[in-house]
Amino acid sequence: MDILFFIYISMAMFAVGVIGVLVKRNALIFFLSIELMLNAANLLFVAFARQWGNETGLVWVFFVLVVAAAEAAVGLALIINLFRSKQIVDVDQYNVLKG
Amino acid sequence: MLYAVLLGLFLPLVSFLGLMSASNIIGRRLTGFIACASVLISFVCFSSLLWIYTNTQMQPQTFFIYHWIPVSGIDADFTLYIDPLALLMTLIITGIGFLIHLYSIGYIEHEEDFARYFACLNFFIFAMLLLVLAGNLLLLFAGWEGVGLASYLLVGYWYHRPAAAQAATKAFVVNRIGDCGFLIALLLTFQIFGTGEITDVTQRVAQLFAIGAPLLTLMTFLYFVGAMGKSAQLPLQVWLPDAMEGPTPVSALIHAATMVTAGVYLVVRMHDVYLLTPLTLYIIAIIGAATALFAALCALAQTDLKRVLAYSTISQLGYMFLACGVGAFYAGMFHLTTHAFVKALLFLAAGNVVHMMHGSTNMDYMGGLWKIFFKTRWLFLIGAIALAGIPPLAIFFSKDLILEQVHHAGYELLFYTGLLTSILTAFYMTRAYYLTFLGKTRLEEKIIKVVEEAPSIMTGPVTALAVLSIIGGFLGYAFGAMPPLESFLHKVGIGLPGNQPSGNFVFTLETLASTVGALLAIALAYTIYSKYAQRLGAPLQVLKKAFYIDQIYDLLFVNPLKFVASLITRFIEPKMIEGSILATAHGTQKTARWLQQMQSGQIRSYVAWMAIGMALLIVYMAF
Repeated sequence: MDILFFIYISMAMFAVGVIGVLVKRNALIFFLSIELMLNAANLLFVAFARQWGNETGLVWVFFVLVVAAAEAAVGLALIINLFRSKQIVDVDQYNVLKG
Repeated sequence: MLYAVLLGLFLPLVSFLGLMSASNIIGRRLTGFIACASVLISFVCFSSLLWIYTNTQMQPQTFFIYHWIPVSGIDADFTLYIDPLALLMTLIITGIGFLIHLYSIGYIEHEEDFARYFACLNFFIFAMLLLVLAGNLLLLFAGWEGVGLASYLLVGYWYHRPAAAQAATKAFVVNRIGDCGFLIALLLTFQIFGTGEITDVTQRVAQLFAIGAPLLTLMTFLYFVGAMGKSAQLPLQVWLPDAMEGPTPVSALIHAATMVTAGVYLVVRMHDVYLLTPLTLYIIAIIGAATALFAALCALAQTDLKRVLAYSTISQLGYMFLACGVGAFYAGMFHLTTHAFVKALLFLAAGNVVHMMHGSTNMDYMGGLWKIFFKTRWLFLIGAIALAGIPPLAIFFSKDLILEQVHHAGYELLFYTGLLTSILTAFYMTRAYYLTFLGKTRLEEKIIKVVEEAPSIMTGPVTALAVLSIIGGFLGYAFGAMPPLESFLHKVGIGLPGNQPSGNFVFTLETLASTVGALLAIALAYTIYSKYAQRLGAPLQVLKKAFYIDQIYDLLFVNPLKFVASLITRFIEPKMIEGSILATAHGTQKTARWLQQMQSGQIRSYVAWMAIGMALLIVYMAF
């Protein structure tokens, strides 16, 4: 299959992730969008590894997956705690770091 | 030998640092002990050097300590130069300094800031020793400024008294004018000789310049301007009478015996250079004689005991410069030595009175104090007679030598000025003694009962100085032999002119005139103040105000400067200086407020900024 196809799909996924982060206010959707961006990058890694026959990209994908898993655990814990303290999942309300 | 020099020089500095940093920890008794002991040890060091010198016929020696400023063209080293002249000065400084430290324990007893006083006094000893021991003119200048600083700190010791604070500032500012001349002369020296080593300069000057070379004349004159400020010569004499606001031992040590003689020392130290510039020497002689007469006239009319002594100091310093001006450097140094003894004695004796009368120095409210100060009155009398030039007390020999030398040098007018001054000296000292100790008392009854003689820690050092004032003249007088002081100083090359090593006292017409004149003046003053005191009005205002020189300076310099300063504070300072600073501050603040808007705390907006940034980065990298 043409490599270009995977590039377009990956770019679309990434754009959906960015727009999700920018537009959505729900913390969980926000979080999902970030995962989407990560996986867009993963897809590109795999596609290029296949194209050039080089396994380095595959190894990178595993790293990203591991880090994403850890990040998901920490991130979800943060969101749950924020929800417990504020009873809100709206990220716009989490603005105590205002300058 | 080097260790003795270094110990003697730096021990007062160590003591100063210690007292400054530990002033709250150690007690008063220990403070006084440390301060006195450091100066005493210093005195012992220099005494041992004197012993080595006289016994081993040692030559003058330069001690190189380290490269101080290794810049080509300046190249000043930290060198100490030991010769009989420096040794004589160190002995005067540490010897009289020790006695005055001891005296101060009694004088300053009731003050809060006991340690600060002694620390400053120790610092003064260090700076003055540095000044006289310096082998390099730049190092000498460092000591020169150090003693100025010590003088400022000690004159303003009672800083909460406005008069004292003002006097300290005045002393400092007037000295800056003289120091300006010194500094220019210093730069000229480096420009001409490429070094500040005094021995180099004095050795090479004769090869480089003919007698009376204009550049050299300028240089020596500028050095003399510095000496004028430090030694309170006309027209920079205004600070010394005001400096009497300081504690009396300070006046004795700094403003009579040692610091004010630094100018004389400088001229004598550079005498090889001065001898090549007859014009400068002539100016020095004229200014010295004029100052001597001027200050003696002013002293006639002062009602403040300490101010009489201050003007008398200025007058005697004028004598020293007169001696230097006619080339009799040895006579100047001799007078410096005897004057240090006598004037320290007079100041400390006056200090006894001042201290026991709780700071009152006005002779209008004294009189008849002989009943109370039964010891001090004799001590003061010895000092007064010595200063009046009655043989065989100390000043007689030195003053006589100066007058004789001036006469021999052929300056008739200067000689008669000196003679008149010496007669006036006898007059005003008798007046001061009479108004203070004799006659009817003008004290209030209740004060009389409280006042008593000073304690023995104060009378002791004064007695020692009195002994020195009596026998000090014999340093320069020996029966049929070369006087000890002259043979000691002969190595420096400042023996009497004409290479006749016989500074011995010769009974001449000048001697007769000055002695008889002094005796007559004493008799006259005694008669006037004992019999006709009622008929005398207030002292002549023009003399009391020192010919209104202070007022003239106020009119010519101080007030215009104050006017300019007030204009600046009113117009330039708020708009330009403060305005620009405030504008900078406000501008920064406004920018910060504007940038602050970005820190909204909204995560999504941060992400948006990040996305924009990344997009721009990609665009930048792509094209």
